[in-house]
Amino acid sequence: MAHENIDIADGVDHQVAMVMDLNKCIGCQTCTVACETLWTEREGTEYMYWNNVETRPGKGYPRDWESKGGGWESEEHNERSVGEIPSQQDYGENWEFDHEGILKEGEDKALKPENTDPEWGPNWDEDQGAGEHPNNYYFYFPRICNHCTHPSCVEACPRKALYKREEDGVVLVDQERCRGYRYCVEGCPYKKVYYNAVTKRSEKCVFCYPRIEGEGPDGETHPPACADQCTTQLRLVGYLDDQDGPIYKLVEQYEVALPLHPEYQTTPNVYYIPPVAPPQHSDDGETVDVERIPRSYLEELFGEQVNDALDTIERERAKVERGGHSELMEILQDKNPAQQYRLEVFADD
Amino acid sequence: MTDASRGRRPLLVAGLLAGLLVASAALVPLIADARPAREIPIENVDQSLADPGADGWSEVPAATVPLASAPSGVPNADDTTVRAVEVEAAQSDETLFVRLRWADSSTDRETNSPRAFPDMAAIQFPVNATTQPAIAMGSQRNLVNVWQWAGTGTTQELLAGGPGSTTAFEQPQVSVEATRATIGEDDGWSVVFTRELNASVDNRTQLAADADLNVAFGIWNGENSERAGQKAVSEWYYFPFGPDEGGAPFQMILWAVAGIAIALVIAVTAISVRRAGQEGESE
Repeated sequence: MAHENIDIADGVDHQVAMVMDLNKCIGCQTCTVACETLWTEREGTEYMYWNNVETRPGKGYPRDWESKGGGWESEEHNERSVGEIPSQQDYGENWEFDHEGILKEGEDKALKPENTDPEWGPNWDEDQGAGEHPNNYYFYFPRICNHCTHPSCVEACPRKALYKREEDGVVLVDQERCRGYRYCVEGCPYKKVYYNAVTKRSEKCVFCYPRIEGEGPDGETHPPACADQCTTQLRLVGYLDDQDGPIYKLVEQYEVALPLHPEYQTTPNVYYIPPVAPPQHSDDGETVDVERIPRSYLEELFGEQVNDALDTIERERAKVERGGHSELMEILQDKNPAQQYRLEVFADD
Repeated sequence: MTDASRGRRPLLVAGLLAGLLVASAALVPLIADARPAREIPIENVDQSLADPGADGWSEVPAATVPLASAPSGVPNADDTTVRAVEVEAAQSDETLFVRLRWADSSTDRETNSPRAFPDMAAIQFPVNATTQPAIAMGSQRNLVNVWQWAGTGTTQELLAGGPGSTTAFEQPQVSVEATRATIGEDDGWSVVFTRELNASVDNRTQLAADADLNVAFGIWNGENSERAGQKAVSEWYYFPFGPDEGGAPFQMILWAVAGIAIALVIAVTAISVRRAGQEGESE
């Protein structure tokens, strides 16, 4: 095994991982639509977004998910925080629009939800952010299941319907074993397991496992649809324990790719390059040497490690500005696209 | 004390003892009729009682079964709300009807949103009718058969060999009719489970096994998000399917012997007292 120094789950051969560079996200939701098209255009999945992009600062999807509990009480992973199930209103309801009437039959009315008068929904607070003009700020935040090394959803299920795949650590819900108890929904601190009220079972992001296995019509290995379709190609996909790959370097070597909310103690395998915004402006429009996105806010999301990560990025960027070479900057700029998706490195194991 | 009052006393004692005799003679049959604490009587009927509102149910004796939170590792396992269920059972030539009635003021019929859980009720039997498996869903060695009704209108027939192992039969043979009803002074559910006595396949409890059959009950209050191991359950009870109504004659014989012995003691005492009195007067 290639992971002597890396914390991957017991009984797992290799751990799939994803790094998302938040500096490249333009909030276009192409990833969301790619995922929706592939996985959640079925009855009962209308309200689900296995991949969503939320505006930060903001309440997120589902609303206020960070205050709903879940995860572990400590890094010993011997006591779970139970958590609560978000309400349907927190997720947003399934809005029905009369596209047929307005677009085809020429009905003269506004295109708005026909079945409800919504007061909340996904991206209700899109682009609001925080701060006051001229120093307001926000950034987009794509989220999928973190396929955690210590998944509290797996532990929460009394039927062992959720499990972590031995070959690559993908966390799945066995639909045959699931009886819809929803302990996984409340137990996941990221609220990335969803209840399907039609099948009466819970379901979640599957890391597009048939694509990474090459089970599609062309027999080729593909990255997950959210990564493949991303307009700015902000995602790297591979294995955390592939020490020659960029994910290992960003996470373990340079320590600039960080898990979201490490204090939940689930050890996510989706990592983020923290956002760097232009500095603040004075009232008369002059640039001042104050960071636009407060470090305190980024610490809330990524922990104190975000300070070292941002310092490293700044230092390496300055090196390149002086005409030097930086492997880190090359990785972050995708100078070697062949390295972006490394999904076949362990194919011969 | 006068001689006259001394002479009346033996008569008074004898009268009291005679009264006791009459009272005990009247009570003995009542006590003998009382069923053992864990027995749920089964009434023989000649028509279907599948409808929880069927007139025939008024003839069927009810057992009140106390419930308590099931021991379980799921969150909030101690937080259950239903404290008792009334159980009535009736059998026709080929069919068993079990009616459960319990108070639950909220009607929860849906699982149509992330937080919606339905009210549910379940009856558990050992798969092997002569055994008493672990009360919490049996064990791998000693399986249980569970009939589970949910307020959504669905009924499942389940097989389990310990917590977390519940598996649904693909072709259930249990049918259920349920209705809201008044239970005492509260609103609640009245639910009748119906199944043929004969089991047609392996792993399905044979109800007509000519042996007493263990049975346990579970209730979930959907409003309280009760599901899985968060449920109110009973201990093992039994249906007296065994021969001779579960040994009642033996009990009757015991009571009869005791009754005769009491009567004899009273008679001997009364006679002795009277003789002693007469001897006292003649002195």
